[in-house]
Amino acid sequence: MKKNRKSLILIALLLVTAMVLAACSQPTSSTNNEKDGVKESITIAVTGPLSGDYAQYGEAFRKGTALKVKEINANGGIDGKEVKILLMDDKNDPKEAANVAQRLVEDKRVVGVVGHFSSTASLATAPIYQKAGLVEFSPTASHPDFTKQGTYMFRNINTQAIEGPIVADMVVNKMQGKKIAVIYINNDWGITAKDNFTNAAKELGAEIVAEETFIGGQTKDFTPTLTKINEKKPDVLFLAAFYSETGMIAQQMKQLGYNIPMAGLSSLFNEELIKLAGDAVEGLYLSTNFFPGDTNPLVQDFITNFKVEYNSEPDQFAAVAYDTMGMMIEAIQTAGTDRAAIRDALAQMKDYPGVTGNTTFNENRDVVKSLKVLQIRDGKFTVVE
Amino acid sequence: MLLQQMINGFTLGSAYALTAIGYTMVFGILELVNFSHGAVYMFGAFICLILITTFKINFLMAFLLSLVITGILGMLVDKICLYPLRMKNAPKVTSLISTIGVSIFLQNLVMLLWGSETKNFPMVFNLGTLNIKGFKLSYFQLVIMGTCIVLMIGLTLIIQRTKLGKAMRATAQNMEAAKLMGIHVDQVISFTFFLGAALAAVAGIMIGMYYQTVDPMMGFMTGLKAFAAAVLGGIGVLPGAVIGGLLIGVLETLAAGYIHAGYRDAIAFAILIGVLLVRPVGLLGKPVQKKV
Repeated sequence: MKKNRKSLILIALLLVTAMVLAACSQPTSSTNNEKDGVKESITIAVTGPLSGDYAQYGEAFRKGTALKVKEINANGGIDGKEVKILLMDDKNDPKEAANVAQRLVEDKRVVGVVGHFSSTASLATAPIYQKAGLVEFSPTASHPDFTKQGTYMFRNINTQAIEGPIVADMVVNKMQGKKIAVIYINNDWGITAKDNFTNAAKELGAEIVAEETFIGGQTKDFTPTLTKINEKKPDVLFLAAFYSETGMIAQQMKQLGYNIPMAGLSSLFNEELIKLAGDAVEGLYLSTNFFPGDTNPLVQDFITNFKVEYNSEPDQFAAVAYDTMGMMIEAIQTAGTDRAAIRDALAQMKDYPGVTGNTTFNENRDVVKSLKVLQIRDGKFTVVE
Repeated sequence: MLLQQMINGFTLGSAYALTAIGYTMVFGILELVNFSHGAVYMFGAFICLILITTFKINFLMAFLLSLVITGILGMLVDKICLYPLRMKNAPKVTSLISTIGVSIFLQNLVMLLWGSETKNFPMVFNLGTLNIKGFKLSYFQLVIMGTCIVLMIGLTLIIQRTKLGKAMRATAQNMEAAKLMGIHVDQVISFTFFLGAALAAVAGIMIGMYYQTVDPMMGFMTGLKAFAAAVLGGIGVLPGAVIGGLLIGVLETLAAGYIHAGYRDAIAFAILIGVLLVRPVGLLGKPVQKKV
């Protein structure tokens, strides 16, 4: 009995402290700024996988957006107000992403969200942002259904409906692929990428001889799949995958002694792919909308600044995150800090000059960006004319 | 194609077998399913990679050094996370949960230290491939299988023939009684963890070299499969771990090659469940009589 009573008192005490803390924390944080005369700030949330299997992409988000914000703040911020980033880790897990979204919509300081990374996480969180009326601007979610979830969903990447046919043309016409084998990652993105590609390739007269799948982050051994594909004697192996798995596929193919030309999507444009797989990925074709060799001064400045800041080359994920943050800030500059007004300003944005090309939203809040075809030659990404 | 798929399967299976040996040994001594084994396997591979690339140590030295470092890590895991629980006579399931915690900690530690991206593991020696009528068998695949069998025999000898092995078996049977007989139970357990972790490092380095890639999450699935392999072969029985590992590897490969790559794990595990329903102690396991 004594023990029971003790624990009851303890629980009661805890509850009281929790309530006191909850009551204190809210008002203090919002009034502090005005009272102390500290410079006012505007908070934009950035969320993506900062840990877990896909943490390298979250890292690219963090670096790209932070660079943009640093540049803006160095020029006096938005109307003299400092821009702050609230960084949240969604682990690329839809459940975790939903928790993050819930916290962000409840946090009144947050005026807009840059994220999430994958289509899966973005789709899972869309209803939460839509209901609360907070802009969810994903730099990378390319699943066609994402922006159909509501009027607050924006994306800064070509949907697979746009990229699929361009890449199919590259494979069928540039690479002379008549018999094509496909390996795709088994998630929302991989399935739509595969469907859009195969439909377009079939229309161009190619034959799909094999469609194989794998589970991202789990499958490390591709030898049975590759042995099976090799039996079908395809002209081209098309990969709807990310660079880490593509590196493994290429290396295991080399180890098995198969020699099938490979092609992929803009998801493969990353220096790490060449570091990882070396000469196993030599000759691989891919598409991209960001290319560091671009002579556009905007792109060159971005690359220089990025190198100064992080001592590494930016990849397309960092570039598109940089542009996404830039567009978000421009919308806030025209609309102020009202969540709904920011949405309207973003929807009306015309020809935003970014490092990933000029960007305008169509009526579905999707973007159309031009794509370049690249090939890995002598261990370097090279533009194919 | 069938022969090539069998070769693919045997190599994958050897990897599981190498990892499963460590699982089954710790279980044999402590009756503890050590779920941190997969993460320790990954850690071993990373340490070796870092020693080679950052510290420019030659492969053989790096290999041995990473076995020692990983072994010490294994001992620390026991001392920090499991020993205090044993002292409090906590139920075995508490220790199991503790090892899951260790595994998550190690994964995130490696990500913090060396980043989360998949890294290239340099091809240290290119042994080439053996070509038999169009089927390719690389010598490295043979090295993996050979290592697996040598380790299995070596460990069986240690456990059955040496004084330390006897102490390990005595500790496994009854910790209290072993203590009364003058066995330094804590030292024996430390040694077991050292050995288990070093074995995991061997497996991790071999697999890192075979696929030429390592990443912080590489231990998760392999750890699960190796655990399944150990159970399939009869947990606690060393040859069982090897047979279980090979069987799971081959089944998985055949499922991916002939049925559907998306269901490879499902099919392999369904067969595992089937076997266990018929033989609950595993293929080579013997029913143990529990003292009343």
